[in-house]
Amino acid sequence: MAGTGAGYDLSVNTFSPDGRVYQVEYAQKAVENSGTSLAICCKDGVLFAVEKFMLSKMLVPGTIKRIFPIHRHAGMSIAGFLADSRQIVSRAREEANQYKSVYTDEIPPEVLAERLGNFTHLFTLYWSARPFGCTVLFGAVDPETKVPSLFQIDPAGLVYKFKGTAIGKGKQAAKTEIEKLMANPDITCEEALVHVAKIMHKVHDEKDKDFELEASWICPKSNYQFAAVPNDLLKTAEDKAKEMIEAEENED
Amino acid sequence: MEVIAPRSTAPRREFAKHVEEGCPYRDDDVMAPEKGVSTGTTIMAVEFDGGVVLGADTRTSTGQYVANRASRKITKMDERICVCRCGSAADTQALSGFVQFYLGQHAVELGRPPAVKTCANLFKIFAYNNKDRLMAGMIVAGWDEKSGGQVYNIPLGGSLIRVPFACDGSGSGYIAGLMDKTYRPGMSKAECIEFVVNSVAHAMARDGSSGGMIRTVVITKDGLEETHMEGNKLPFGP
Amino acid sequence: MAPGQYSADPKRHTLQPIVTGATVVGMKYAGGVLLAADTMASYGSQARYKDVCRLKKVGNYTLLGASGEISDFQYIGDLLDELDMTDFLQEDGCHMGPQEYASYIGRVMYNRRSKMNPLYNQLIVAGKKESGESHLAFIDHQGTAFQEEFIATGFGAYLAMPILRNEWKPDISLEDAKKLAIKCLQVCFYRDCNAYFKIHVATCDGETQEISEPIAMDHYWGHSAWLKKSLEGGTLGVNESW
Repeated sequence: MAGTGAGYDLSVNTFSPDGRVYQVEYAQKAVENSGTSLAICCKDGVLFAVEKFMLSKMLVPGTIKRIFPIHRHAGMSIAGFLADSRQIVSRAREEANQYKSVYTDEIPPEVLAERLGNFTHLFTLYWSARPFGCTVLFGAVDPETKVPSLFQIDPAGLVYKFKGTAIGKGKQAAKTEIEKLMANPDITCEEALVHVAKIMHKVHDEKDKDFELEASWICPKSNYQFAAVPNDLLKTAEDKAKEMIEAEENED
Repeated sequence: MEVIAPRSTAPRREFAKHVEEGCPYRDDDVMAPEKGVSTGTTIMAVEFDGGVVLGADTRTSTGQYVANRASRKITKMDERICVCRCGSAADTQALSGFVQFYLGQHAVELGRPPAVKTCANLFKIFAYNNKDRLMAGMIVAGWDEKSGGQVYNIPLGGSLIRVPFACDGSGSGYIAGLMDKTYRPGMSKAECIEFVVNSVAHAMARDGSSGGMIRTVVITKDGLEETHMEGNKLPFGP
Repeated sequence: MAPGQYSADPKRHTLQPIVTGATVVGMKYAGGVLLAADTMASYGSQARYKDVCRLKKVGNYTLLGASGEISDFQYIGDLLDELDMTDFLQEDGCHMGPQEYASYIGRVMYNRRSKMNPLYNQLIVAGKKESGESHLAFIDHQGTAFQEEFIATGFGAYLAMPILRNEWKPDISLEDAKKLAIKCLQVCFYRDCNAYFKIHVATCDGETQEISEPIAMDHYWGHSAWLKKSLEGGTLGVNESW
């Protein structure tokens, strides 16, 4: 009973005397143990990347996905409990689908992000529910105007709009790097790919298991549709990123 | 609908056939709702560069009797979207009410005016899903930021068809040829108004179920402009 | 109605189409499939909409053509678009092709007719998935479904099928197939009250899938017997023909 929350951390519907909901904070903690996940809004689209730990040498590469399509022009990358995130992914797909069949237009990213925030928040209100142990980065490109946008939805149900952000283990270091990268407002997804690969390799903790880099984008290269970054492009970017890191290390 | 209740043993004595059990309307009532107040009508809408013009006559009849000689068949759905209604007045009014409700909610969530196509699609959903029960034809017209002036027709079965100009109601049949002759693509706003008023006036002159005045609405990005033409000042007829 | 009660009146659905399209013809040609349909949607016998496309792209490999009720065609189109979306979300590189869509539509049509609430269409599903076989299928409002080398729906089943039987050959070229389709729709225009002279032609060869802009067909009225004067100087009551 006498944990860090002195008994106030057992249910999501009891505040602690200092006004905190521990369960939600613990859920956020679960996100921080996860591999880094980042997304950036480039000039011409959105780029997602995820650091996936290879749990076993016998694991088939590409077997677990952490970036999902939501509809033709939107996707979502995950940090935290993958199984929990599936609820959000499938809810997002339902909302997008239903919106389109009723209102004929594609759901505006702001609207979908807000609805997902509400959905996530519901799981922080009832004793019978457990908050989601995951944070999602939801990115979309408007099919008409080609304007990209990016949102973060955390276990509390908060919705933030970002130009670029990272979640998970290496988020602090990654965010600093993203800030430097986004100093160039004209950068395209294709140009950013190698830098993102570099960030992911840089923030990867040597103590952790080997990792696989998963990347998806919505940009001219993918005909403004959500698609996985082609393997050869990703491989080249990763190789180049490693070279750059090595060169930097040699300078020091 | 006649209802058989197996649990009640006493035979029910029928003096008059009612439309439905418990319903005050009798089947032989001249005001029976299925015969109902219907907008035997002429309505139309035309698209022009930058907006739309809608027009309608003002006669509402119950059988032979003119129930209202100055009725309003054009209903506002949003600041820049209107609908012309024809068919059963009850059905189209109810439908418009539902769509106003859903479109209003949608506009709040969206934070900007909704698209004309969205409004038309909402009408379509109701019209298609209840096609067995409804007698409702709609012309949805308006202006939105993305696609400018648009006219959509939702005829009886609940299909949704975009057209450069639409005409519906009992009077539309009398002026189909006139409209084909006088319609030109790329008309100005003033020419569109003239086209609408002239067409509707000719329909009213030949269709007994259309008549009275002509109401027109012009919708552009600047909003909605409502005008009317009195029944004794029509370009043709009555 | 209270539980246990039932109505003496049967529940009725609308069992007639309202806004309708006329013939669609479809045929295989060397290396692909072709569909053609006119651009009209009629309201009874009234020529109501003259610029409607009754052909639709579904996914990357499939074309759908419909005669009959337009609203039901739009509904089926929406259903298939949703299916295509689930395909996209799967991210497994597998996509449904004409065969899959055709059998899906077949089940939908049969289900609805079994509920006494049919979707009032005759449909042609055509397509070719990459280097696979060309596929052409017919499905109607009762759920009847079959595959053929060439098909015509609606009134075209009477007017166009004989022409297709006489003139279609396996491995007909795209150009000849287009000509044949136009010939069929021309006859439909002559002899079907609800047909129109403007048409769309759609093709799918496994690589590309496209629907043409509206094409205005030629039509011919110059037979000398028809233009010959029969009243001037003719004998009363002895006309050669009506």
